[in-house]
Amino acid sequence: MSEYALEAEGLSKSFRGVPAVRDVSFKAPSGGITGFLGPNGAGKTTTLRMSLGVIAPDAGHVRLFGGPPTMARLDRVGFLPEERGVYRKMTAEAVITLFARLKGVPAATARQRALAYLERFGLGESAHKKIKELSKGMAQKVQIIAAIAHEPDFIILDEPFSGLDPVNQQVLEQMIREQADQGRTVLFSTHVMEHAERLCDRIVLMARGRKVFDGKVDEALAVVPRQVTIGIASESDAAPLLAPFGAVERVADDADGAAVWVVRLHPGSDAQGLLKACVDAGLRLTRFEPLKPHLHDAFVRLVSDPADAGDIQAVQPQPVEG
Amino acid sequence: MRAIYLIARREYISYVATWGFWLSLLSVPVFMVLGAAIPALVQSSQPMRYYVMIDETGGNLDDVIQAGLERERRTQVRAALEAMAPVAGAERRDRALAAFDEDPAGLSRLPEALEILGLEEGAGTFTAQFGRHQRVEAPGRTLADLRPYLAGDASVQTPEGPRSLFAAVFIAPGEGAGAPPRLVYYSTNVTDTALASASRRALGEHLRQQALMGRGLSVQEIAALTAIEPELRNLNPLAEDGEAEITMADRAPFFISLFLAFILWTAVFSVANMLLTSLIEEKGGKIIELLLSTARFHEILIGKLTGVAAVSFTLFLVWGLVGAAASFVTAQFAAALDPELAQLIAALVDPGLLLAALGYFIVGYLMFGAIFLALGSLCETLQEAQTLMTPIILVLMAPMMILVFALQAMDSVFIQAASWVPLWTPFIMMARLPSEPPVWELLGTTALMLATMAAVVWGAAAVFRQGALGQADADSVKRMFSRKKG
Repeated sequence: MSEYALEAEGLSKSFRGVPAVRDVSFKAPSGGITGFLGPNGAGKTTTLRMSLGVIAPDAGHVRLFGGPPTMARLDRVGFLPEERGVYRKMTAEAVITLFARLKGVPAATARQRALAYLERFGLGESAHKKIKELSKGMAQKVQIIAAIAHEPDFIILDEPFSGLDPVNQQVLEQMIREQADQGRTVLFSTHVMEHAERLCDRIVLMARGRKVFDGKVDEALAVVPRQVTIGIASESDAAPLLAPFGAVERVADDADGAAVWVVRLHPGSDAQGLLKACVDAGLRLTRFEPLKPHLHDAFVRLVSDPADAGDIQAVQPQPVEG
Repeated sequence: MRAIYLIARREYISYVATWGFWLSLLSVPVFMVLGAAIPALVQSSQPMRYYVMIDETGGNLDDVIQAGLERERRTQVRAALEAMAPVAGAERRDRALAAFDEDPAGLSRLPEALEILGLEEGAGTFTAQFGRHQRVEAPGRTLADLRPYLAGDASVQTPEGPRSLFAAVFIAPGEGAGAPPRLVYYSTNVTDTALASASRRALGEHLRQQALMGRGLSVQEIAALTAIEPELRNLNPLAEDGEAEITMADRAPFFISLFLAFILWTAVFSVANMLLTSLIEEKGGKIIELLLSTARFHEILIGKLTGVAAVSFTLFLVWGLVGAAASFVTAQFAAALDPELAQLIAALVDPGLLLAALGYFIVGYLMFGAIFLALGSLCETLQEAQTLMTPIILVLMAPMMILVFALQAMDSVFIQAASWVPLWTPFIMMARLPSEPPVWELLGTTALMLATMAAVVWGAAAVFRQGALGQADADSVKRMFSRKKG
C-alpha cells in the first residue's frame, strides 16, 4: 500500500487565461484525514477535479495510490462533488446501487450495501422512495452514501457540510471519523474552519489559487501567537513580572476594578509557567484565561490579503479551562 | 464498458418507465387502426343528403340525370360485389351478382346480394361508400322558394322525417340557339361536390349520346365507340425480352424508401430531443459531476447515446412486429382483393431497404444525437437550448423539404448535390436508393457521411467536456461567433 493516497505535484490550471490554480503540490497521507481549506474561489474544487482526472491540468501531475489516476485506481476513490445532485426520479436504493455498480461493485452486493447504509443513516424506511419525495437533508445523505457505498480506500468530499443542518453536520463528522477509523483516507475541502479543526490530522490551506500552508493542524496553529488574559486585583505593577513571558499590554479594568492584562506569549513560554510566576509573586488573580488559537487566526496570519480571510468562517475564540 | 453499459441502462430504464414512452409505443398501432377505420367511420356516419333537381328545359332532363346517377352508382356497387369473390368465394359471388342483377336498373336487390355474401350486417357501411345522396320532391321551383330549405330554415319531408336540403340542381336551357343545357348547382356545403360532378357526367353523357344519335348512329354503335380505349403497357426497358410489365412491385420501393426516409427523420429528431432534455435535466440536477467521478466523458457520451438508441430500437422493434403482423394479415386479404396493394406491402418488408434504413438511422442518430448532446451540455435550461438548437433544426428540416418536392424528380442534379451534404445524406440517400444511384456516389456519400460522423462525435465530446462542468456555456458560442464577425 502506498504511503500516500494522493500526491499532487505542481498542478496549474487556467480558464480563459485566468489562473485558477498555480503550482500546487500536496500529499494526502494514507489513513489520515486531510483538510483542504480556503475561501471561495481559492482553487480547491479545480484542484480536486484535477486530482480525479475530471479535468486535465495545464501543468503538473497527480498520483493516486502511488500511480497515475487510471479508472481502476479511481474505482478505489469515493467522491462527493460540491455541486451535487442525484436522479430525482430514482429511488434512494437505486441511486446508491447505480453509483456503487459504476465503481465495480456487483449488483447484488451493491443493493445489499445500499439498504444497509440507508438503514445506518436512518433512511431505512425511505429506501424505496424517489429522491424527489425526500427532504433536502435526506437527499444529501443519499448522495453521501452514494459516494462511499463502494467502500473506497480514499474518500474525497468537496464542501461536504454545505447545505446540511447542524444535526446532519454532526452525523457527517461522525461518518468521516468512522471512515478514518476503518483505515480509509479522507480528504475534504471546506471553508468552515471549525470542521477542519475538529477532524483533520493535516491541512492544506489555499488562497488565490496558491497553496499557503501544508502541514499538521498543530503546526498551523503554532503560527498564531498564544495569548493569556490575566485579571489582577493587587495594587502593584505586574508588567515587570509578566514581560519575560511575552508582549504585555494592559487593556482595561474589569467591573470589579481589577487590572486586565493581555500577554502574547513568546515562543518557548507557556501559560503554566506564567501562572506559576504570578502565584509565586503573590498576585491576587481574578482571572487567568489562556486563549486557544484557532485555524481562522492561523489562516489570517498565513494569508496576507484580508479579503481572503473574510470568506473563511471563523470559530470564535473560546476560553479554555486551566 | 461497465460505465457505458450502466449509464445506457439507466437512460433506457428512465425512458421506458415514463408515460411518454408507452404512449409513443401505442401511438403507431393506434394510428394504424385509426387510419384504417376512420375513412369507413366517416363514410358510414355521413348523414343522408337530400337534394332536389328542377328541369327548366321541359325535356325531362332531371329524370335523365337521375337515371344516369343511379346507373353510375349501380355500376360501382356491382364492381364492389364482384371484388368480393376472393373473400366470399366465386360461387357465392356469382349467386350474389345474379341476385343483384334481378333489378338491372337499380339497387333494389342489393340487400339479397349482400345476404348471400354474408354482409347483411355491414350493408349500411357497404352502400355508404358509394354516396349517400337521395332525391326528394322539390318544395318550390325557384331559388327564392328553395333558399330557406337550403339555408336550414325550413325542412322537406324525407323518409327520415323533416330535413333541410343539401343541394338544388337546376337544369337551365342553353344560352343561345343550339347551345347545350346548363347545370346550376346550389349548396351551402362547398366541399362535397360529388353530386354536382356526377350530375354533370350524367347530363354530358346523355347530350353526347343525343348528338351522336342525331348524326345517325344507333345506341349500340355509340356504346361501341365510347368503349374504345387505347391500351397502355408500361414496360421495363431493362428486361431482356422487353416484355416485363411495370407493376406496383416496381414502384413500391420508391414510395417505401421515401416513407422510410420520413420515418428516419422523425426518429432521429425525436430521440435527439430525448438526449437534449435528459442532459439538461442532469445538468440542472447537478448530476454530471457525480457521474464524472465514476466515468469518463466519452463513456457518459456513448452511454447516453446507446441508452436512448436502445429506447428507439425498442420502439422500432415493437412497431415492426405489430406492422409485420398487420402486413401479414392484410397481405392475405389484399393479395386476393388488390394484388397491387399486396405488392406494396411486400415491398415494405424488403430486407435490403430495411438494412439501409437501419444503417442510415444509426449514422444520422449519432451525428444529430452527438450535436444535441454537445449543445445541451452548454445550456442550463431548455429555453437556452432552444436558441442554440434553431440553426440545427433548420439544417435537419432542409432534407425533408427537399424530399417533399423531389418525389417526381429524384434524378435532379439538385437532389444529387444535396446527397453530398453529410448531415442530409442519411435521409436523401435513403429516398434515392431505389433509383439505383451510381456506386461511386453511394460510396462517396457514405464515406463523407462516416467521416463527418466521426468528426462530429469527436467535436461533440470536446464541447461536452467543456460544457458539462460549466467551463463553457451558451454565451461561449455567442462569443465565438461575435469574434468571427469582428
